[in-house]
Amino acid sequence: MSAGVCIWQCKGCGTKVFPQRLLCPHCHGAAFDEERVHEGVVEELSVIRHMIGQESWQPRRIANVRTKDGPMMTVGLRDEAGEGAVVELFQEEGGPFGRRKTG
Amino acid sequence: MPSAAIIGVGQSGYTRRPEPGQSTHTFIRDAVVAALADAQIDARDVHGMAVASFSLAPDTAVDLAWKLGLSLRWLLQDTNGGSSAMNMLGHALRGIESGAADVILVVGGDATGLAGYGRIAANYNIATRDHLAPLGHGGPNGVYALVTSRQMKKYGLAKSDYGHIAIAQRAFAAKNPFAVYRAPLTMEAYLAAPMVADPLSRYDCVPVVAGAQAIVLAHPDRAPPGRAAVGVRAHRASFNYDNQAGDGLATGISTFAAELWQAAGVAPRDIDVASIYDDYPGMVLAQLDDLGMIADHDLARFCRRDIGEERRPINTWGGMLSAGQPGGPAGGLNAISEAVLQLQGRAGERQVEGARLAVATGYGMTMYRYGGTAAAAILERVE
Repeated sequence: MSAGVCIWQCKGCGTKVFPQRLLCPHCHGAAFDEERVHEGVVEELSVIRHMIGQESWQPRRIANVRTKDGPMMTVGLRDEAGEGAVVELFQEEGGPFGRRKTG
Repeated sequence: MPSAAIIGVGQSGYTRRPEPGQSTHTFIRDAVVAALADAQIDARDVHGMAVASFSLAPDTAVDLAWKLGLSLRWLLQDTNGGSSAMNMLGHALRGIESGAADVILVVGGDATGLAGYGRIAANYNIATRDHLAPLGHGGPNGVYALVTSRQMKKYGLAKSDYGHIAIAQRAFAAKNPFAVYRAPLTMEAYLAAPMVADPLSRYDCVPVVAGAQAIVLAHPDRAPPGRAAVGVRAHRASFNYDNQAGDGLATGISTFAAELWQAAGVAPRDIDVASIYDDYPGMVLAQLDDLGMIADHDLARFCRRDIGEERRPINTWGGMLSAGQPGGPAGGLNAISEAVLQLQGRAGERQVEGARLAVATGYGMTMYRYGGTAAAAILERVE
């Protein structure tokens, strides 16, 4: 697990994107800096109760999160954070996850 | 008179569970045989083919041509999922119009099985494989659960509003012998159905089936005697319309709808039958709104009055929600095929009397947060 989620910032115009692109969608520059975004707000969430083709599926929560630095992101929720909650973001095996921010 | 039109349609049987020996290829074969018989075209006269399928690999379009015994001079394999059918239709029309081929067969089909579908859903593209599948995001059900939640908040929609769409389409499906689900659906049963991915429950999620659908295009003079061909007044498509930076509540159709109607020389009020790509009820509403077919953008009133009470003729074969989704490509071809049958007066018990103009759409390729491809066509009976 690593703190924050990697996003990409265009060196030309500063646009921040997630997932990674080949060219900036705004200025079409090809150079990006990697950054990490650590926080976002849950806008919508869902409980995935069934997954086609899976027989022993355990329900899990996902959310649409507006990150503090810009890009919208779909994350897995690791607690009962609800809509409007501020979550801290972290990354596991490439996947972005969140849990309610404390403190 | 247009120089290219749809002159025949045909489909395989649809099933939730294929029998041993049935495969994507055999379903496609069955649809091809049915479409050529319907068009009264000899296979030796087919010189063009377009195909889309998630489960044809490792074969490609030319392998399919080989296995069907078709020697071609025009060939296309499309990868645009739910808008593949509309995309292939556009290319095939131009193929006929340009003289590249006199007769073009357009086919889509899949027989992934439920486990195979799960693997496709988790590996749909690199973004999905790397950033969604690790969450256990539930495939497209999870993605459109979030989109539907947004839509409910923005438009003040209740869960039961989506139920009107599922129920109305099920009533049409009862009149379609190919539909996999034909038993009547009540609002009580809709609301009591188990949740799949909140707020989507069982009847909001398109059922995966195995099957295939095909259509045949040629000059309208090639239509079987006594039957009108179906032409396309206008066709437009959109790909990656917003770089996934929006809310997904508008589709790529919003970028071309005005131009589509203008090119067709008709208005939304002129449409007799609509075939709207229906992987989820919310996306039916999004596309109809983009087309300008929902008055005042009042989605809730449209569901309750236009669908619930007036039963507007939308997805009159039952849609994929009741007839089944044999992969996005064939599902999109169902939409076109139903428009053709309606405009030719061949839709049987579900016939919309006097239907002369139809709109058909495709929507698909869930790139990350929602679909990135969309297309639409205005179809008419060629007199």
